[in-house]
Amino acid sequence: MNNQTKKVLILGGGIAGLTAAWELSRQNISVELVEKSCFLGGHAIGFTCKATDKCQQCGACSVEDMLKNVVNEPLINVHLRTEIKELKKSSQFNITLTKSDIELPDSQIKNLPSGKAAKGFSKYNNPLYVTESDKDKMGSSCEITADAVIVATGYSPFDPNRKSTYGYGKWKNVITGLDLENIIRENGSLVRPSDGQKPQKVAFIQCVGSRDERLGNLWCSEVCCPYAMRMAGTVKHDNPNAEITMFYIDIQNSGKEFPVFYEKIKQNIRFVRTIPVDIYPLENNGLELRHMAEEEGSPSSESFDLVVLSVGIMPGKDSSKLSAITGIPVNQDGFLDNEITCCSCSSSAKSTQTSQPITSSQSASSIAGLFVAGTAKGPAGIASSMADAGKTAFEAMKYLGVMK
Amino acid sequence: MTTDKCTNVTEKCADTKENCDNMVDISISKDVLVIGAGSFGLEAAGKIAAQGYSVSVIGVKTACARQSGCTSKMLETGKVNIMQDVAIDSLAGVTGDFRATLIKNAGNGAEYSEKVEKVFGAIVVAPQYSYSTLNKKYGLTLNDKVVSQSQFEAMIADPESQKKILNGVNGNGSTVAFLTGFAQEGDPTSTSRVLTSALAVQNMENCNAYIYAGNVKVGAKGLERLFTQGRHAGVVCFKPSQMPTIEQNLNDGVNTVKITIKDPVVRTDVELTPDYVVVEEAVVVGQQNLDIASTLRIDTDLYGFLPSNNVHRFPAKSNRDGIFVVNNSLDAANAALKLKELIGNGIKRVAANKAKVDEDRCVICLTCYRSCPHGAIFWQNGAAAISPAACQGCGICASECPMDAIQLGDFTDDSLRTSIKDAVVSAKDNQKDGQPLIVAFCCKNSALEACEAATKFGHEMPQGFRMVKVPCAGKVDVEFIMKAFVEGADGVMVAACHEGNCKAERGNIYAKWRVNEIQKRLEKMGLEKNRLIFTTIASNMAKEFAGKVNAFAAAIK
Ligand code: SF4
Ligand code: SF4
Ligand code: SF4
Ligand code: SF4
Repeated sequence: MNNQTKKVLILGGGIAGLTAAWELSRQNISVELVEKSCFLGGHAIGFTCKATDKCQQCGACSVEDMLKNVVNEPLINVHLRTEIKELKKSSQFNITLTKSDIELPDSQIKNLPSGKAAKGFSKYNNPLYVTESDKDKMGSSCEITADAVIVATGYSPFDPNRKSTYGYGKWKNVITGLDLENIIRENGSLVRPSDGQKPQKVAFIQCVGSRDERLGNLWCSEVCCPYAMRMAGTVKHDNPNAEITMFYIDIQNSGKEFPVFYEKIKQNIRFVRTIPVDIYPLENNGLELRHMAEEEGSPSSESFDLVVLSVGIMPGKDSSKLSAITGIPVNQDGFLDNEITCCSCSSSAKSTQTSQPITSSQSASSIAGLFVAGTAKGPAGIASSMADAGKTAFEAMKYLGVMK
Repeated sequence: MTTDKCTNVTEKCADTKENCDNMVDISISKDVLVIGAGSFGLEAAGKIAAQGYSVSVIGVKTACARQSGCTSKMLETGKVNIMQDVAIDSLAGVTGDFRATLIKNAGNGAEYSEKVEKVFGAIVVAPQYSYSTLNKKYGLTLNDKVVSQSQFEAMIADPESQKKILNGVNGNGSTVAFLTGFAQEGDPTSTSRVLTSALAVQNMENCNAYIYAGNVKVGAKGLERLFTQGRHAGVVCFKPSQMPTIEQNLNDGVNTVKITIKDPVVRTDVELTPDYVVVEEAVVVGQQNLDIASTLRIDTDLYGFLPSNNVHRFPAKSNRDGIFVVNNSLDAANAALKLKELIGNGIKRVAANKAKVDEDRCVICLTCYRSCPHGAIFWQNGAAAISPAACQGCGICASECPMDAIQLGDFTDDSLRTSIKDAVVSAKDNQKDGQPLIVAFCCKNSALEACEAATKFGHEMPQGFRMVKVPCAGKVDVEFIMKAFVEGADGVMVAACHEGNCKAERGNIYAKWRVNEIQKRLEKMGLEKNRLIFTTIASNMAKEFAGKVNAFAAAIK
């Protein structure tokens, strides 16, 4: 069979979309990669390296690798600043694309070296991903037919303004985990937003927006413990005098060799099992953080130079819109969900288990030929998103008859 | 300002595309070996066989896989030959042409054992781990009331034992305590098992479940919801900062366990004497998996789990092309994909300009065979030979070979010498007065990317700075470093991937080690050793790269 005739439309150019596109192109399937914003790589392309004396396996550099693969692959056609308007299924999928109303950050398009596209580099490394000439070409409306569709539209980070007592946006030195990623990436080390100096006392507040029954967010975001601990390690490595405190409920694992990593981190960072109540400004842009002290069981407060809110993974802002367009249902948490759990044969599964959260399951969609990959369907880190995208590509190719 | 512009090179040419001269066709066996007959091994086997490859599975089927319905579902279609009681004895050959010696009746103490050699194009390892109960770490002896998580799961699945739990000692229910996360860190899988069992207990009439946990590992789909569900049902979860005090009394026919923790809020001791204590289990690697890893020459992580802890192996890859590691269902699909990409219809088109051995120079010293991180070297016509299908072109072998018998097609020693010379010449042309002339050897996987991005984004670096692209820092040997100095560099930098992030696993270690050696030599020669540095960087850290170069320039000014 000539696979060249098969075409898959992928919505979303984050790490899941990139990986799925790349895997499909490996089997000679052509891909239309549609990205709403003006650059590829999603959130993860702005993440920083978290190596200390060695690599901490955060996966940020893998996103860069994958991006480079994709932009150099002729079988993958990229549509930036484009979104889906309509999807109809006949024998194939007929998709109407339209220019997304996302603002083009002109400041970042200026100063581009003339001629060549600087695609392939991140949003935060200015100048970057699009040339003057691309600017006009970007985001035209068109109709596309495809044999299968993969939705890899990703997540939205928790909006810290919903936790108003933390004063995000009000106090300069209250930042989110994503802000922290970008600051280290841009500067090569951590500096305070207020004065550009290296902070001495840093607090991390875990589970901001996740594991929160009052908000109805009954899930662990899985990534924030790993990223917070890894970045805490980087900050401490860069500035051994920094005092870092992590306020937490439970610490989640970061992957392979976690016990060794955790033991080492525990020697460098103070862990306090409580979630702070609120944050007040002090002089010189310092911050006072109030919490229930674990040992005394009474209110206590402490001052910090910088507070990092470890915001979690929430359903993508347009997941309900996408659900309406594509017909993929959203689950009780608001993530796109087309999974039918099949026979659970994971080694841990026991016949006594009534519900099996970690099982092998098969992506099978309510509409044949429509698949969801990556964080669009729930929390996942870079590595798991890539694995999931690979598996989704596999399922899509099975549907196309390219894989059996 | 760099001597080599290489941002837009697609490393790989797909079969259908033109402009791929210098390619060779290699035939790849369409037979695949799967080591491990657990559910993921069988799932992978099924997916691979469906692609039309003939699959042999060796290893003992697990309980789940023994259920025929389960197995047939996993095997889907295609040719799968499951051989129980067969193990792998040794492995020779390379990707596409692995020669495995299989041994029948392995490990059974049977007198009769038979060895057969079979050729496989690719190998999938699906490690089968076992559990060990961590009762000793809690000071507990297992008995009918102190049981492992697995035993307890069996109890609530069995109507008889379930009735016993339901009745308790005097007919009014049981109290069950779960201990988890103190004897080991634990993981979402173990947490999931505890939460599920605890909820099952709580749902039995008059029964109560107590969980004593270190960290509750809810970092997987559905677990926070399950945890909340349990709490609402009445499961009590204590999270003391230390392992609870546990006293087991087995004297005079008594059989009790007392668990005590200090409540942090009310500051008093909280005691519990449960009817059953359920102890967590650890996943054990086992000698068998370590043996498999060493037979296949694939790297493990610190604990012996396969594969090594390196993002380049993700997902389902090992340090050897053509050997895949499957630890879960996602891996199974990814392995099938990658395997199809590798085997295709049995002919693989690969770049011919990889490492080559000059047979006349080779003295069969085995150095290259031992140092190749990708297992790409085999023996042919009384000399080392390198498989273009398996070679990743890192150049470690070329640098290590004592006879200089190995050359890389795309990075010959001559071309590197020229690059170094060109770099210095062009640096001299641009160098400003008083600024040092710096040559940086940049690994193409990390430092090169960072350097190019730094240039592109206009991060300032000294005018007299030039980089030389290398396939891996492991290719940078003494000769090249000295050559840079001889040509006129004031400072030489070897920039590699961070430790644990090297595609070639140890290329950066070789480079670091060589730099240390040369620094000693420079010192003996009366030169300043700080004119040569080794550094590590990730591909995405442009600003950090510029910072490093500037700091180096300032240090040697
Ligand atoms: S810490 Fe992350 S970005 Fe840095 S080298 Fe390791 S995986 Fe790459
Ligand atoms: S990963 Fe950690 S911080 Fe994030 S939601 Fe889970 S427990 Fe909270
Ligand atoms: S290191 Fe050189 S001499 Fe030794 S076996 Fe390899 S090619 Fe031959
Ligand atoms: S270049 Fe690297 S991968 Fe290739 S044979 Fe030599 S050591 Fe092995």
